[in-house]
Amino acid sequence: MNRRTFLKAGAAAGGMGLLGGLPAPTLAQGTAARTLRFVPQANLANFDPIWGTQYVVRNAAALVWDTLYGVDENLVPQRQMVESEEVSADGLTWTFRLRQGMKFHDGEPVLAKDAVASLVRWSARDPMGLMLRAIQQELVAVDDRTFRWVLKKPYPKMLLALGKNNSPCSFIMPERIAKTDPFTQITEYVGSGPMRFVRNEWVPGAKAVFERFADYRPREEAASWLAGGKRILVDRVEWIVMPDPATASAALQNGEVDWWENPISDLVPTLRRNRNIRVDIADPLGNIGTFRMNHLTTPFNSVKARRAVLMAMSQEDYMRALVGDDDKLWKSLPGYFTPGTPLYTEEGGEILKGERRLDAAKRLLAESGYKGEPVPCIVAQDQPITKAQGDVTADLLKRIGFNVDFVATDWGTVGQRRAMKNPVGQGGWSMFHSWHAGADCINPAAYTAIRANGAGAWFGWPDIPAVETEVSAWFEAKTLEEEKAAIRRLNKAALEEVVYAPTGFFLTYQAWRANVSGIQKGPLPFFWGVGKS
Amino acid sequence: MFAYVIRRVLATIPVMALVALFVFSLLYLAPGDPAAVIAGDQATPQDVERIRASLGLDRPYLVRFGSWVWGILNGDMGVSIFTNLPVTTMIAQRIEPTLSLMILTLILAVTIAVPMGVVAAWKQGTLIDRAVMGFAVLGFSVPVFVVGYLLAYVFALELDWLPVQGYTALSKGFLPWLENLVLPAVALGGVYIALIARITRATMLEVLQQDYIRTARAKGAGQGSILFLHALKNAAVPIVTVIGIGIALLIGGAVVTESVFAIPGLGRLTVDAILRRDYPVIQGVVLLFSFVYVLVNLIIDLAYTLFDPRIRY
Repeated sequence: MNRRTFLKAGAAAGGMGLLGGLPAPTLAQGTAARTLRFVPQANLANFDPIWGTQYVVRNAAALVWDTLYGVDENLVPQRQMVESEEVSADGLTWTFRLRQGMKFHDGEPVLAKDAVASLVRWSARDPMGLMLRAIQQELVAVDDRTFRWVLKKPYPKMLLALGKNNSPCSFIMPERIAKTDPFTQITEYVGSGPMRFVRNEWVPGAKAVFERFADYRPREEAASWLAGGKRILVDRVEWIVMPDPATASAALQNGEVDWWENPISDLVPTLRRNRNIRVDIADPLGNIGTFRMNHLTTPFNSVKARRAVLMAMSQEDYMRALVGDDDKLWKSLPGYFTPGTPLYTEEGGEILKGERRLDAAKRLLAESGYKGEPVPCIVAQDQPITKAQGDVTADLLKRIGFNVDFVATDWGTVGQRRAMKNPVGQGGWSMFHSWHAGADCINPAAYTAIRANGAGAWFGWPDIPAVETEVSAWFEAKTLEEEKAAIRRLNKAALEEVVYAPTGFFLTYQAWRANVSGIQKGPLPFFWGVGKS
Repeated sequence: MFAYVIRRVLATIPVMALVALFVFSLLYLAPGDPAAVIAGDQATPQDVERIRASLGLDRPYLVRFGSWVWGILNGDMGVSIFTNLPVTTMIAQRIEPTLSLMILTLILAVTIAVPMGVVAAWKQGTLIDRAVMGFAVLGFSVPVFVVGYLLAYVFALELDWLPVQGYTALSKGFLPWLENLVLPAVALGGVYIALIARITRATMLEVLQQDYIRTARAKGAGQGSILFLHALKNAAVPIVTVIGIGIALLIGGAVVTESVFAIPGLGRLTVDAILRRDYPVIQGVVLLFSFVYVLVNLIIDLAYTLFDPRIRY
């Protein structure tokens, strides 16, 4: 007896049909086929992709707002809202022309002034946007469909900046919304993307609903990641937030949801055994695990102590703690850039290869002048990725000879404490764990963790001029070969001085019901081209 | 009685004031930074600082506390740092599932536990008594989430009788509403049933030794009449007290139950808010829970007069 017959029997027996109104099967089937129920990686707690830069916000925003350019699966930015662009011979003046006939969800046309206001807001928050701001002469709308960006010096990565998938993306909003201060949340969610946000059904922490935007005009090209024709094949996409992976797994098996963005590896064997479920890699660009050290405090203010960690760490230990025995899900990473992408290099990576040298690490630590001071390791226990890495680190550091002060805490507290520059003993810290999406680590454009510009760098504040020189060289590179050369030098310098310790490269799965088609692998869930029978 | 009610209602004001002060101070002192969570993992320290300033989190303690209290006094619980929605709106969105779950659990627990306790007392020392007490020990010992997973596995995955997760509003039909709540209510009710059954048994055992019960038997009253009319009514005061105290258990249990069954209620809202350090939401929800708890206990106190006419206020 299944649920429907059970309920029917119950209703017939008790006359409950009058009270409950059992769903009419035919109608329910039709509606169900037009609604895609998706379990996202996290709660959509806010919906301003410039104000809040969490991946989950970016992923939802990609449905509602469109971008001028979009990277395709080859990591090349392609025209999206833009019909054409022109750059002056000196590389200083960019003129962009928008496609005709684009509309916002409120029915208003998309105009150049909307693009200008959106770029102004985005550029206040995005690392590449900030670089553009610093060299900007003017950014103006020329007419309804044309705008011009005049720079003081050439910026060869302009199209990548406007089309990258790294958060914050340069989403285009109506001018009235885009004029909101970039550090204040927007209150209207009107875009020109393929779906509109159903605000009155939004229950933060539980549900977010998107409906197909009938007036959206997809490009003619085939869809490829954020580029091409974004054709929506369902009427409605429901995001159902499930904090508990076991519940999400059961809901997928029971057919209550259609697509789960990030099943944990422990549950994947169960899902694979179900013939109604498909499981595959979510994002081929994966993630890079991070052992982030504080370059300002003892002991990791000494490069010898930092290198001692690299010398002794076994990336396999970290990766097995994260993904278990599934060898398809991880690989060693003797460098900082995403494997399988054009700029990947192992230059200078010998220290992370071969047999681990615990004795040499101990000697190096002694040479660093370390005298057994406490080493606060702040490890978030509510994030499985940081917790697993933290357990391995505690053991590793103890074996090298560090006096580990293991601070088991939550991610919110890590977020606060890692911003403190105080000495250890006054609230300061020595290391924390995180991870970076591989899509952010394909080049230095959005890779804040690789930067080593001292006070302006990411938490830990490495100050390594050689790294910054090569970051600039990459930004100024005009050919792929020049880019590759700069990244090889950057990787070597970053490993020599240890900007941070990479703990390895790992992939995650996604899972969906067999009646769902068109799911792509990529750095975010792409809903265009996804259908349901 | 009316004067008593007024006095009790007025007495809630200092209680709520203390709760407000305690909750605000605790959150102020607790580590964690919502600005860091908002900014995301890739943000620079400068971004985090600017967001903190824009949220007013860099203001002194007294200024923030004064501003919050003034808002509460004007019926404004503030705006969520993350969702930008008024806290009252967020509570309104979430209150129905939690209230539904708690009421259903309460009905289920009282309906099952009181007869269980009565029968256990009546059949003291027998197999039935031991079975009831064994169940009570299990109810106390097995965590809500374990019961929840087991129920979901059996009744949703294996038998396909009930859904694994979610909530359907009562306005969409009684049966769909009930369908979503049966498993969570059973899971949450376990500990509550155990608590009520044990106290019912203990109190009934005491009452059944009283002289008036012997008199009732001597007068030829039936067993059912003795147990449920004479004895249970006189045992009701401690049982009702425990039911009231158990509301706190339900509130705590609802947090776990709502997560296991993905019910969008106040429990999950509280957990999400704590993890993100969404101070206005945490403060609002805790104040609400405190108020409910105080109110329930007031109702329980008043209910004593129904069971024991000797009690006068």
